Amino acid sequence: MLEQQVPQRQVDVSFDRRGRLQRRDFLRTAGAAGLALPGIGWMNQLSGQAQELRKRNQACILLWMQGGPSQFETFSPQPGTSSGGDTKAIATSQPGIQIAEHLPRTAELMEHLCVIRSMQSREGSHPRATHLMQTGFLPTASVKYPTLGAHAAQQLGDPTAELPDFVSIGRRRGNSGGGFLGVEYDPFAISNPEKTPDNTQLTTSQSRYRRRLGLLDELQSGYEASGGEQEVANQRKLYNKSSRMILSKDMVAFDIQQESSQMRESYGDSAFGKGCLLARRLVETGVSFVQVSLGNWDTHQDNFNRSKALCEQLDQPFAQLIRDLEQRGMLDKTLILWMGEFGRTPTINSQGGRGHFPKAFNVALAGGGVQGGQVIGKTTAGGKDVADRRVKVNDLLRTVCHGLEIDADQENMSAAGRPIRVVDEGEVVQEVFG
Amino acid sequence: MSKDRFGPFLLVAILVTGVVGLSDLVQAQSLPADVAARIDQLLVAESNNTAQGIPVPVVDDETFLRRVFMDLVGEPPTTEDVIAFSLDGTVEKRSSLVRQLLADVSYGRNWARYWRDVIMYRRSDERALLSVRALESYLTDAFNNNTSWDKLTTEFITARGNIRENGKTALIMAQLGRPEETVAEVSRIFLGIQIQCAQCHDHPTDRWTREQFHELVAFFPRVAVRPKRDDGMLNFEVVASDSPIENRSRSTNNRYRGTPEHRMPDLENPEARGEIMKPVFFLTGDEVPVGSLDADRRSQLADWITDSTNPWFARAFVNRIWAELVGEGFYDPVDDLGPGRKCSSPKTLDYLAAAFRERGHDIKWLFATILSTDAYQRASRRRRNVEELPFQANCAQPLRADQLYSSLQTVLEIPESNATSGRQRSSRFSPRNAFNSIFGFDPSIRREDVAGTIPQALMMMNSPRINQYATAENGRMLGRLLREVTDDRQAITELYLRVLSRQPTDKEVNSCLKYRRDLRDRGEAFEDILWALINSAEFLHRK
Repeated sequence: MLEQQVPQRQVDVSFDRRGRLQRRDFLRTAGAAGLALPGIGWMNQLSGQAQELRKRNQACILLWMQGGPSQFETFSPQPGTSSGGDTKAIATSQPGIQIAEHLPRTAELMEHLCVIRSMQSREGSHPRATHLMQTGFLPTASVKYPTLGAHAAQQLGDPTAELPDFVSIGRRRGNSGGGFLGVEYDPFAISNPEKTPDNTQLTTSQSRYRRRLGLLDELQSGYEASGGEQEVANQRKLYNKSSRMILSKDMVAFDIQQESSQMRESYGDSAFGKGCLLARRLVETGVSFVQVSLGNWDTHQDNFNRSKALCEQLDQPFAQLIRDLEQRGMLDKTLILWMGEFGRTPTINSQGGRGHFPKAFNVALAGGGVQGGQVIGKTTAGGKDVADRRVKVNDLLRTVCHGLEIDADQENMSAAGRPIRVVDEGEVVQEVFG
Repeated sequence: MSKDRFGPFLLVAILVTGVVGLSDLVQAQSLPADVAARIDQLLVAESNNTAQGIPVPVVDDETFLRRVFMDLVGEPPTTEDVIAFSLDGTVEKRSSLVRQLLADVSYGRNWARYWRDVIMYRRSDERALLSVRALESYLTDAFNNNTSWDKLTTEFITARGNIRENGKTALIMAQLGRPEETVAEVSRIFLGIQIQCAQCHDHPTDRWTREQFHELVAFFPRVAVRPKRDDGMLNFEVVASDSPIENRSRSTNNRYRGTPEHRMPDLENPEARGEIMKPVFFLTGDEVPVGSLDADRRSQLADWITDSTNPWFARAFVNRIWAELVGEGFYDPVDDLGPGRKCSSPKTLDYLAAAFRERGHDIKWLFATILSTDAYQRASRRRRNVEELPFQANCAQPLRADQLYSSLQTVLEIPESNATSGRQRSSRFSPRNAFNSIFGFDPSIRREDVAGTIPQALMMMNSPRINQYATAENGRMLGRLLREVTDDRQAITELYLRVLSRQPTDKEVNSCLKYRRDLRDRGEAFEDILWALINSAEFLHRK
């Protein structure tokens, strides 16, 4: 494609995050995206640009399984082996693929799911493995790596949006977020999906709030004129942005009570289910990345009962999220990623538990262009090691970036002045997309 | 008031006379005021070659007072402090204020919190937070007792023991004892050298090699951070693991046990065990033999780092404290002094660092000295562009989370709540910590890179907890103020004195009076004024 850096007047057409057509006419550097080809009518430019812009509509919902879910009790049952315990396998909507009995509703939607059974990492400690799976790097003192959600916010987010680009729902471990990309890419954290997010409700009437903002602005002029111009300008920008958010009509996206009782019931009554419903509402409103956490998968004791109970919390919301997105025509543009920091050991300890196992574990993907109805990779007998198609953490993250059209090779500058790629090395697992 | 002791005319005189040699000066003078005067001269001389730029005058008493309070004790002056200071007619009032605040126990606590953040914002393991309380109390005592910086440094490097009780262990605990991360932090914090860049490859621009990095790591392989249970509570202890058995099964990267020697990974062959590294200190080439005990390795390293012949040690500390106080470091960011980095006024930094070393790394002396300089006492201006001269003005700093929370407490009379019962024993759930989790930032990053966040703005504007203390109801500060002061103009002045530690300008009084007149309800009007003041950029910064 021609790379012309000629400023020219052109009809600028874009889509907002809800896909509504927006028109503006202004000077821009054509060719930056390689789209404005001289001599071609503006209709062609429009279609090229629309294609480019539509990519920006991609969103991701990360279902984060804190603690490390057992692959044997979720997507890789091994009945009849010493590793498998009592967990049975059930058929799925995809002939030839079986998953664990605890996920019956998810099994019905297997045609949308791609399960990777050959994930491998080398990190077996919770905080470090969590950091690794979410950022692609081990934690260090000197470089604070951004999470996948922060990269999504940076590359996919809409700077004119009123809601944050990255929202995290549920208890969040660790201090990872925007890292060296900056605090503006930290997730907007919601601990309880049923509550209005912290401090987003005005403490006064809206008219009084606006009056207060006017007074604030007026009283700042003195400091602004006596050395505080930078501080006042930055503060004004931040307060405008924050006010725009809390006064935005989009804030209603945070209120799951807006959904019909039938819809709410379809996601189930658990906090995780409500989080998934909230995630769908947010993505629908244009949020780029939503993380919903489900905790307590660290089943060193009583793995079987606990995993079963956790799967009960997971199954209905997971299946409903896929179905709901599909019915709304949003599934193609919403990548769902199910993962935890590692899997669990094939051996079962004396307390009926399983230990940490990064050597061969599962992740699952759906939507966002993912080819469903398939399993990638194999383990050796009893799930003790990867036998075929090993997928490492950077391979997975590169694959997700590919699906979301995040440039995994984009270099961002760390605080120490070192350029660092979104994902270091790794290869896209092409089969994921068929 | 003769605030501007160095008018532009005097500056010209100094430019002409030039600079005397450094060494005799350091020996001759070590009173803060004398050293400060010399620093101001040196700064002028160093900016000589790039010409123009007339420094901003020294600030008025009100601004100075709030600035010094924030910088030393981490909270604003009370209205009474403001009035008393403005009525004080003595010439020495600024330096006696500094002396008085350095003797206040809040000084130690303020700087303990600063260094807590320096260490903890770089933690690579969340469990490090278990040591926060011990760290804060250890540092509070150390700063209040004016423990010298070399002694503190040695204690951090050689620390052992229970991490919930012994705050010195926090630097090691922050990296869960992993030797590579720990030495990177030791080098960064105490030397201002980012040697970890050489961890994987020889650094392209710096002079340190990968081998030198791993030789530094070799001072720490025997450090282990071992989990223990105390009354069912998770805890850790930092121990020396001098047993000769090599732990080969490393299924995780936990450092529950140490290793006898550090091996540098072979990049060509990552599965190989790697070559044993001798502990060598990269700045001097001094070494301890392979096989040495952990205690010998670490105490030897601490001696070399703090040795008076090592210029990096004093420079790193002086640069950091200077940057916090004057708003801009000689090197930015404060923990990257090179080699190969540009120092904006190298002679001045060397002079002050040498004087600090001569004074036995006396921390309170350093504060008193910097606070006496005109460079510190100048009014604040926006951050300079690169082509402008450094240190022509002070720079406003966003308040650190603790300073801001303490300010709200002082202004609105919010009691400190420790929430020290039951499972909240760790104080991680106190209102202060909840506030810190929203407003905290890593104090080592460039201050202009510290951006405000939406959750911060939302908290200041809408937090029910803060707003509950900002109403005009009876029993609240504002309610009492309005009852006691019936004149609106006077109430406005009181509010400004309380929130911004200064009198309002006529324009501000008029704006507030007009706002007041437009509303029927006096309480409502003043609630709005108070709200605007605590949400103002001026309140959120130290000028």
